[in-house]
Amino acid sequence: MAAPAYPAWVTRWVSGQWRNKKRPPALRPPRTLALADKVANRREQSTEATCITEMSVMMACWKQNDFNDAPCAEEIRTFYDCVAKAEKERKNQNEDTLSSRGNLPSSKVNKLLKRFPQITHYV
Amino acid sequence: RIMPVRWSRYNPSYLEPEVKKESHQKPLEELTEEEREQMELKAVRPIKAAPPSLSSSVFSDPMISKFTNMMMKSGNKVLARSLMSQTLEAIKRKQLEKYHKAPENEKETIECNPYVIFHQALKNCQPIIGLSNITRGGKTYQVPVPLTDNRKRFLAMKWLITECRENKHRRTLMPEKLSQELLQAFNNEGPVIKRKHVLHKMAEANRAYAHFRWW
Repeated sequence: MAAPAYPAWVTRWVSGQWRNKKRPPALRPPRTLALADKVANRREQSTEATCITEMSVMMACWKQNDFNDAPCAEEIRTFYDCVAKAEKERKNQNEDTLSSRGNLPSSKVNKLLKRFPQITHYV
Repeated sequence: RIMPVRWSRYNPSYLEPEVKKESHQKPLEELTEEEREQMELKAVRPIKAAPPSLSSSVFSDPMISKFTNMMMKSGNKVLARSLMSQTLEAIKRKQLEKYHKAPENEKETIECNPYVIFHQALKNCQPIIGLSNITRGGKTYQVPVPLTDNRKRFLAMKWLITECRENKHRRTLMPEKLSQELLQAFNNEGPVIKRKHVLHKMAEANRAYAHFRWW
């Protein structure tokens, strides 16, 4: 016959572990409860893909017109405009200001915090 | 020692040379503010040496030179240039033959200028959207991606040249085959246009993966 499956506390009790006062420690010594001068290294979330709506509109037009470029000239033009705008936006974007989602990369934040450290002592 | 590198070894303060004759023959009063500033800057800054492929003649065309360079094999520019001129001549001959055979009302619609035909054919061959390999979670996907102008031109020229080199009869020469391909591309037909459509179809099939792009 296979070994009967008892719940975990039954096995623990039977082994006599609790009788020797072997319990998991209640509290480990925590780290110092104070703000540090750096932020954890978080993976920068990548920006989303640009110009997807224009691209889908253009592809719908292609499907209707059997992939000819002449009837879809308007959609193609709007797509090119959108791509040019997104490219310019990327070039002009400055990393020192907030990104489009309002977050600074963790390396920049650490540099700023190092310039203005937490004062932990009296002089 | 001077090591060969792929980037330019000029100091960033060096300016590009101005080759067009018209810009030098303009009288001083006609220049706008920015052009005056540009002239003053040129008086002070050093200028790069003009490369031998850059010319100020009316017959030179940067696209044609780029195409000739791509056709060139092992540095044989003489052969590539002669092939290019023979191609343009062949295009002109074919168009003239069509022109003289056509009835009177259709004579205006036939384009005889080989340069115009070349430029229009290249424009018709340029893909609008490309595919790039992006790896997510161990698998590589083909993601539709917008292409830059340089990349489009390069792809169009590359497709034309590979098409002409591979899919021809053993005895046909390059100018003959190239002129045929260029005329077909001018009329939006032919194998190069087909290849472009195949690329567009694949991009359209993979449009669900467009969100994998991060630029």
